[in-house]
Amino acid sequence: MEDLKTDVIVVGAGPAGSVTAKFAAQHGARVLLLEKRQEIGSPVRCGEGISKAWIGEVGIKPGRWINVEVEGARIYAPNEKCLEINERSAGNEVGYVIERDGFDKQLAIDAANAGVEVMLKTSATGVIRENGRIVGITAKRFGEPFEIRAPITVGADGFESQIGRWAGLPTNLALRDMDTCLQYRMTGVDADERYCDFYLGTCAPGGYVWVFPKGDHVANVGIGVQVSQVKSPADAQTYLDRWIAKHPGYAKGKKIDIVGGGVSISAPIKQSVTDGFMLVGDAARMIDPITGGGIANGCIAGKLCGEVAAAAVRDGDASKEFLQAYEKGWRARLEEKLYRNWLAKEKLVSLPDATFDKVIDALQGVKLEKLNVHNILKAVHEKYPEITREFEAFL
Amino acid sequence: MANKKSLHIESSGQLCIYCGACVGICPLNCIYLDETRITFDEKVCTRCEICVKACPVGAIEID
Repeated sequence: MEDLKTDVIVVGAGPAGSVTAKFAAQHGARVLLLEKRQEIGSPVRCGEGISKAWIGEVGIKPGRWINVEVEGARIYAPNEKCLEINERSAGNEVGYVIERDGFDKQLAIDAANAGVEVMLKTSATGVIRENGRIVGITAKRFGEPFEIRAPITVGADGFESQIGRWAGLPTNLALRDMDTCLQYRMTGVDADERYCDFYLGTCAPGGYVWVFPKGDHVANVGIGVQVSQVKSPADAQTYLDRWIAKHPGYAKGKKIDIVGGGVSISAPIKQSVTDGFMLVGDAARMIDPITGGGIANGCIAGKLCGEVAAAAVRDGDASKEFLQAYEKGWRARLEEKLYRNWLAKEKLVSLPDATFDKVIDALQGVKLEKLNVHNILKAVHEKYPEITREFEAFL
Repeated sequence: MANKKSLHIESSGQLCIYCGACVGICPLNCIYLDETRITFDEKVCTRCEICVKACPVGAIEID
């Protein structure tokens, strides 16, 4: 395989990578988008629930990847009483359950249509460093090694990112800052198509059980368990199976798919750029530490990352000083929220079931301006300021 | 080393679902996911057992 030269290399064609690539190309850069798999978006490793408020901001149009449009969320306390928050009480549009493979493919199509070259079956195997700067990567395409040189390399290689660590950026996670996740797609279950459901408490230590409806009695039923609370191997599976067995509306269903994965629930990383290199999305630990959702933050940061990559190419300056525009940009947009939700997560993972029961009870009937984590935490603060003391400055 | 415990990643697909949870948490960056194969660098691995906890299906063992 011949060696290549381009302006911007993006490693990983998930949502953050494709959005980064699209915006870099729209702003005039030549872009190579690398995907190690043969098929973008597959296999799916995702609960597939997203909020919808942000999609226009990054130029995504609603499409065939929308599976179900939900009206609200139901948050279940350990005693199975639930807090129901819907569009009417929250006053805003809520979210979608998506076909994640179709979503990722559409974002790659948007990138390709903007001029990005997509290379499938291509993995990064290392970074090329010259005079302390990253000037490209070594890669393998259909097993054949080659090099790509570019003034800017973007790591968008997901939770299991290695390129960030090869570039020297600190992305290591503490055990308390990761959830281990497992999900079944089930058919023949009593999931309500109007709601995404969340079950809190010791049914999922340091995480939650989710039920996201896919329509026609199909749903994604999954769990996240904080790694620091895992007592024996396969606890995620044990807890999920136990939860399903206790819920007849799901126990009667059949599993048609099994998906696993890691989710970071950490505070924002200290540094996301170095000379010639930027990190974005799950690879940059941008996942919301409360919800475990990474798509919105990855895409919002991806837009900034792509714009800054193109500007660096145009100005002939790929220094880490120049790339601060991206570092500062995503922090201005996301850091306060990520930090607040990380502090809130640190508190919530320590609460006993009785406290969740009490809080969900106290929140019945509260009016939220909009359905989001911030507003729910503010409502908790009104009723139980002792729970929110450690992060009340952020509310 | 003779006294080092041995790490076994069941990556034949009987238990492993190739999700990459172990890859993302490994503090030494020594586990690799190749879509249908998980491998680790025996020389770098310290048998810290973090990956054992991170695996959602219990496909990693240390004896």
